Amino acid sequence: MSLLLHILKFKILTFIKLQDELNFKSLIKQLSASVVYLLFAIGIFFFTRNIITYLIEDAKIGMFLLHRFVFVVLFIFFMTVNIGNIVVSYSTFFKSREVGFLITMPISFEKIFLIKFLDNFFYSSSTLLLMVSAALAGYTSYFGLPWYFIPFAVAFLILPFMFIAGTLGAITLLVIMRFAATFGIKKVLVAIASVYGTAVILFYIFSSPVQLVTKVFEYFPNINNYFGFLESPIIKLLPNHWVADALYWISSGRFIAAGWYFYLLIVVSILFLLFSLYLAKKWFYKAWLVFLNLSGELSVKKKSNGKVICTFENKSSLKPRREALVKRELLLFIREPSQWTHFIIMLFLITIFILSLSNIDVMILNAYNIYLKTLIYLIIYLFNVFLIASMSLRFIFPLISLEGETIWKIRSAPLDYKKLMLTRLFIYFSVIFVIGQLLNFVSNYQFSIMLALISQLNTACVTITLVSLNFGMGAAYANYKEKNPIRVASSQGASLTFLFTIIYLVFLVVLLFAPLTNYFYAMDKGSFASLSQLLYTSAILGMISFIVSYLSITKGVRLFNKDI
Amino acid sequence: MLKLTNLTKKFGNFTAVNNINLEINAGDFFGFLGQNGAGKTTTIKMITGLYAPTNGTVQIGGFDIQKNHIEAKKLIGYIPDQPFLYEKLTGKEFLFFCGGLYKIEKNKLKKIIEETIDQLKIDQWVDKRTEEYSQGMKQRIAIASALLHNPKLLVVDEPMVGLDPQSALIVKNVLKQKASEGVAIFMSTHSLNVAEEVCSRIGIIKDGLMIFEDKKEVVEEIIGTDHQNLESLFLQMTK
Repeated sequence: MSLLLHILKFKILTFIKLQDELNFKSLIKQLSASVVYLLFAIGIFFFTRNIITYLIEDAKIGMFLLHRFVFVVLFIFFMTVNIGNIVVSYSTFFKSREVGFLITMPISFEKIFLIKFLDNFFYSSSTLLLMVSAALAGYTSYFGLPWYFIPFAVAFLILPFMFIAGTLGAITLLVIMRFAATFGIKKVLVAIASVYGTAVILFYIFSSPVQLVTKVFEYFPNINNYFGFLESPIIKLLPNHWVADALYWISSGRFIAAGWYFYLLIVVSILFLLFSLYLAKKWFYKAWLVFLNLSGELSVKKKSNGKVICTFENKSSLKPRREALVKRELLLFIREPSQWTHFIIMLFLITIFILSLSNIDVMILNAYNIYLKTLIYLIIYLFNVFLIASMSLRFIFPLISLEGETIWKIRSAPLDYKKLMLTRLFIYFSVIFVIGQLLNFVSNYQFSIMLALISQLNTACVTITLVSLNFGMGAAYANYKEKNPIRVASSQGASLTFLFTIIYLVFLVVLLFAPLTNYFYAMDKGSFASLSQLLYTSAILGMISFIVSYLSITKGVRLFNKDI
Repeated sequence: MLKLTNLTKKFGNFTAVNNINLEINAGDFFGFLGQNGAGKTTTIKMITGLYAPTNGTVQIGGFDIQKNHIEAKKLIGYIPDQPFLYEKLTGKEFLFFCGGLYKIEKNKLKKIIEETIDQLKIDQWVDKRTEEYSQGMKQRIAIASALLHNPKLLVVDEPMVGLDPQSALIVKNVLKQKASEGVAIFMSTHSLNVAEEVCSRIGIIKDGLMIFEDKKEVVEEIIGTDHQNLESLFLQMTK
């Protein structure tokens, strides 16, 4: 225990020192980041309070259904924390040089696991914790609960909940690595993806939200009562159900009933932690060796089978410098497992999304309410944009940082940095652009050709904006010492970029809502649907895209030129 | 102190280290030579527990590094070629951190750190953050951190990389002194003159196989009869 505290003390010291480099530039950077975080938290606070007000007072869904809504949101939150922890843990547990250092020390493997898990958990979940705390504040404010409920609920309700999600992520990763040794990494990844897919489907089957709403409304007007007996007993085993129920009882003034769920969450989170430590004791070192062997085997296979996708030796129609850059980019991408696996996961998500779109389009066309049509259309559009944003954050943001330790070669070469960076940016931009256009086409082809075309144009502007924003922010928060793209894409600068993206998404909703509603209204009435409003929005998006891309790329290239 | 038995490491079909047998006793200064990619670092990583052998065992002071890793690691001081240091900590803070990992009592640790700082002559910059250090400075901090717990076996990977002549001399003297105090030293190096100067035993590895291993006197005898120096012997053997 003393050894663990000793290591944690120095980790905290390192973290504090990371924050204390006070000069005017860093102060401005930190201040701006704090302001964005604060504004974002305030936004979530008001958003949550308004949503609750709307659901309780306008839609009159009652207290029980409100908390079932919370239950579904918490499920998504749980999965986000869980999958986020699996992905980031891979880097923290196995790719980090610190682990290599600690393994040579007389420290047990479960202690190394615990140190790196805590490091990983607080590193990858802090933005989410801020978001959920702000949402909790909005909830507290609506129900008139005392202010100290917020820190209390964060500490004893939300943190244990997130801890369960995080430890489950770490356990899943250990299982993946352990079984990868026997069955191969591809088979294990497919199996785990199937388990997660099945879990999501089962969640919606067992929770059956639509059926629940119908059943609860049979008791109208007594819809504030507790209708737990209408639910499947299986979903009552889920931690998000415990949190939702705890909130239900607290907002109903029955604190004793809520106490049980606090107790349950804390005990289960401790049990999960103990189980993960047990597994780490047995498997952490083996998992580390699997990681090393996988890297070793990969390089040997490439040598032995002779199948090389891209080689510098082949002739190319590109100019020498461009060829060098393009081939380097391609080779580094396909040889870094965290890059191509993430790309494949994203393509997989996009495929599922595309497959499910046909039904949704029909839903829009048949929706009885104009607002509903607009809402569904916007949700799909935002999902498209969100995928573009995720790809930009994951692949564009780390672009400059990934120049890493080879920057000496670039900086000492007789080349124009601007051209270099634009070439690299263009490679990734092209891929994201094509995916964005494809997504947009698939989600719009059932509508009029004009709406589809305008939407293609809007998506192009959005792609340029998001790619440029991530490029500029990636340059501003470049970390040349970090070799791991996942760590770069989940750093403080990346979180800040994500917040800017969310603000941009909100702006998109505000900008598109009225023109789209008018368009659908005209379509519904069978009258001529004027596209001028939609074209104006495209013009505004185009302007923003031009300004953001100009500023970001100019700034990005300038920052790349600075002393390092 | 160090016993390698049939030590083998394979990465897929590629054999990086092939059936190495070696015993190093207290006070031995073993110089491990080989070309790039010969298997030196892989061997060192198996000795320090960073890699698990595909076959064979590594025993340190009678403890198997795989079966009883904590006890074995208590006896090792490891100096990698590219040492990991927490960039935001000062050199001294890093030394306190490492001392804590070996559970050295605080007052005793303070004394040892002062002595080590003095011995390695790092007092001028030990209170600066390690991110400001040159490669040589980092190397000397790594050496200092490996000496704190009075290890019985020092495993050193390329100690002279990035060191200026003054620093190299300090490091050589410290290592020689440790060997004279009875510490077993396993040192991988490309600096043949250093190996010739400080080592009591020499081993040469090629394509994962230990192609030569003997006492320095034997090496000197071979050099005396057939060759001019260790460099020409090494070049001929690894041709």
